[in-house]
Amino acid sequence: MKNTFIGLATAALVALTGASTAQAQGQGLLDTIITRDSLLCTGHNGSYLGFAEVDAAGAWQGFDIEFCKALATAILGSPNKLQVIPVSWAQRFPALQSGDVDVIVKVTGWTQTRDTELGLQYSRPYFIGPFYVMAKKELGATGIADLEGGVFCVNAGTTVERVLTDYMASKGIQYESLAFEKGEELRSALYAGRCDAIAGFGPFLSATRVEAPDPEAYQILGDVLALEPEGIVVRQGEDDLLDVINWTVSALLMAEESGITQANVDEIKANPPSPTIARLLGVTPGVGTRLGISDDFAYNVIKAVGNYGEIYDRTVGDGSRYKLPRGLNNLWNQGGLLYPLVLD
Amino acid sequence: MTRLLASQKFRRLAFQSGFIVCVGLVVLSAILVGHRNIAAQGIATGFSFLERTTGWPVNFAVIPVTAGSTYAWVLWAGLLNTMLVGFLTLLLATLLGLVLALFRVSSNTLMKLVGTTYVEVFRNVPVILQVFFWYALLTHLPSPREAIRLGVVVLSNRGLMFPSATLSGADLLILLAAVLMTGFALWIPARRTGAMLRWSLAGVLLATFFAALLLSFREIGEPLWSVPELKGLRFVGGITLKPEFAALLIGLVLFGAAYICEIIRGGLLSVDRGKLEAGTALGLTGFQVNRLIRIPLAIRAMLPSLTNQYVWLMKATTVGIAIGYPDYFAIVSTSINQTGQTLELLALLMAGFILINYSISFAMNRINDHIKIKGRS
Repeated sequence: MKNTFIGLATAALVALTGASTAQAQGQGLLDTIITRDSLLCTGHNGSYLGFAEVDAAGAWQGFDIEFCKALATAILGSPNKLQVIPVSWAQRFPALQSGDVDVIVKVTGWTQTRDTELGLQYSRPYFIGPFYVMAKKELGATGIADLEGGVFCVNAGTTVERVLTDYMASKGIQYESLAFEKGEELRSALYAGRCDAIAGFGPFLSATRVEAPDPEAYQILGDVLALEPEGIVVRQGEDDLLDVINWTVSALLMAEESGITQANVDEIKANPPSPTIARLLGVTPGVGTRLGISDDFAYNVIKAVGNYGEIYDRTVGDGSRYKLPRGLNNLWNQGGLLYPLVLD
Repeated sequence: MTRLLASQKFRRLAFQSGFIVCVGLVVLSAILVGHRNIAAQGIATGFSFLERTTGWPVNFAVIPVTAGSTYAWVLWAGLLNTMLVGFLTLLLATLLGLVLALFRVSSNTLMKLVGTTYVEVFRNVPVILQVFFWYALLTHLPSPREAIRLGVVVLSNRGLMFPSATLSGADLLILLAAVLMTGFALWIPARRTGAMLRWSLAGVLLATFFAALLLSFREIGEPLWSVPELKGLRFVGGITLKPEFAALLIGLVLFGAAYICEIIRGGLLSVDRGKLEAGTALGLTGFQVNRLIRIPLAIRAMLPSLTNQYVWLMKATTVGIAIGYPDYFAIVSTSINQTGQTLELLALLMAGFILINYSISFAMNRINDHIKIKGRS
C-alpha cells in the first residue's frame, strides 16, 4: 500500500515538473502559436470604446483588435485565426504570464516596473497616448487649475492614477480621486455627476463624450497631463514573437508611407514601384522567412486590415464616430511621431 | 515484517502518514515549480514592494492615506475599510433582521405581510444589483451647487454632509472619561443606590463634561461645530458620508437582513410552545416571555447558521470594487495592477479575509460554547 503512494507521489512530481519543463525549455511562443494555428490576444471586460469593443453582433472591433488581427494574419495568414480573450486592466499581466494570452494589445503604457520586474517585453510604441482631463462644461473651467477641489474619476489600476497624482502635486491643486474598476461604471458616474471631471487617455475621453447622453455638456481641457507611449507586450524572452510584432507594425506604417492601401495592394503587388516595396509585399523573397513566417505576410496584413492610417481612420479617426484627430499618431512627414523601420 | 503488516494499527498509521507525505510532496513541488517558472520569466518576487510608496491616492480611508504612503499602509487602510463596512453591516443587518423576524412571527396579518414581502424581495435579487441600484440612486441626487439642504444637513450626489463637533485630542479624552463614568454609574446595581441616584449621577457627569468642553479646553471664538459650506466645487467642513460607502452599506444591510430575518425566525419558531405557555402561566407579560424565555432559547438554535451568514456577509463586502469603494479587495486589485506582484498580493488578500472571518467564527463559537445547554454537543 505504501508503495502505491510512493508511486503516486512520484507520478505527481513527474507530471508537474514535466509540464513545466515543456513550457520553460521547449519551443518558443511563435512556434507554439503556429502549431496551435490560433493567436490568443487580449480583449476587454466590457467595452473600451474605440480600442476593444463588442458590436451589436457580438464581434470584437476597435484599434487594438485590428492590431490583433494584423498579427494573426502576419503569423497565420488569416485574421480569423484569432481568439480574443476578454481580460480586465488588472488581469492582463497575470494572463500573459500564465499563458492565457500570447500578446497584450491593450494600450499598455511602457513603464519601467512593467518592463523589468514584471518580466515583460515591449514592442516599439504603436500608439502615442496623451492624457487629458474632460470636465463638465457647466463648471466653466478653462484649465485643470479651475477644477480645484473637484472630484476626478479614473480607471482603477492604470497609469492614469499616478499621472494625475503627479500632475496635481506638481501644480499644488487639491482634488479628490475616485477609481472605478470598469469603464461602464466610470462613465455612468460621470454622466450622473458623481465626478466633476474624468482623467484619462485622450481617445478614451473622446469616446466617453460621444457616448454621453448629452455630448455637448462635456469638454476636453487643453492641458496635457502626460504623454504615454503604448506598446504591444510579450513575455520576456519571446524575441522571435517580438520581432514579428515590430516588423508587422513597421509594415503597416511603411504601407501608409508608400500609399499602399487595402484597395490598391493587389495592383501594387503586381507592379511594385520600388525594390523596397517589392520586398515588403513579398514579391522579392526574404523578409518573412527571416522572421519565421511567410514572405507575403505584409501583403496579407494590408489585404486584411489595411495600412496604419486606414486602421486608425476606421476605428478611432474620421471614419469612426469618435473623430479623433491623428495628432502625434501621424507619420513623421505629416507632423507625427511614427516611422517605419528600414526594410533591406 | 509480516507481523508488522498484520497489525491493523501499524497499517493504519502507515496509510495515514503515507497520505500526508504524499500531499506534502505535491504541495511542495507545486511551490517549487511555480517559483522556478516565475524566476525563468524574470518576474520579481517577494514582499519588498510593501515598503515602496504607491503613488496613487485612495478615495476613502479611516487612517490618513496619501499618494506618498507605502503599500503596506494602503493595504492596511483597505483592510480597515472592509472591516468598517463589514462590521457595520453585521450590526445593522442583525438589528433589522431581528425586527423583521418579530414581524414575521407576530400574529398581526399586516406585520406578517410586510415581513414576508421584504424577505421575498430582498432575498431574491442579487446583492450586486441592489448595490448598483442604491449607488445609481445616490449619484443621481443634485450636484453640490443645487444641493438639498435640510437645515444644517446637506444632501447632494457627493454624499450626505452634516456638521461635526470640532473636538481636540483633550476633548476626546474628556468625552471618553465621561462615557466610561456614566456607564459605570449606570452599571452599579439599582438595589444598592436606587434609580434616582444613578440617573442624577449620570446627569451631573454629563453636565460637567459639557461645561468643561465649553469653558476650559477651547480657544475663545473657535466654533464648537464645523458646518459644511459650499466652496468652489465642493463642500468644506463637517463630516461627509460618501455615496460609495452609503450605497454599499445600504445594499448589504438590506440584503443581509433578509437572510438574518429567516435565521432568527427559524430560531424563534424552534422554541417549544410549552415553555412559552409556562412563562405566561407564571404571570410574565408578553415582552417578558420574549426577553426571558424565547430569545435566549432561540439564540442557541440560530447561532451556528448566524455565524455562517456573518462570514458570508463579510465576504460580500468585496462587491464594493464595482462602485468605487476602496475595500481590501479593491486595494489589492489596484496594487496587483501597479506592482504586478500577483501571487504575493493574492496571498495577502486571502490572509486578510481568513483573519477577519476566522475571528468572527472564533468569537461566535466561544459565545455558542458559553450559552449552549451544558451536556449537549
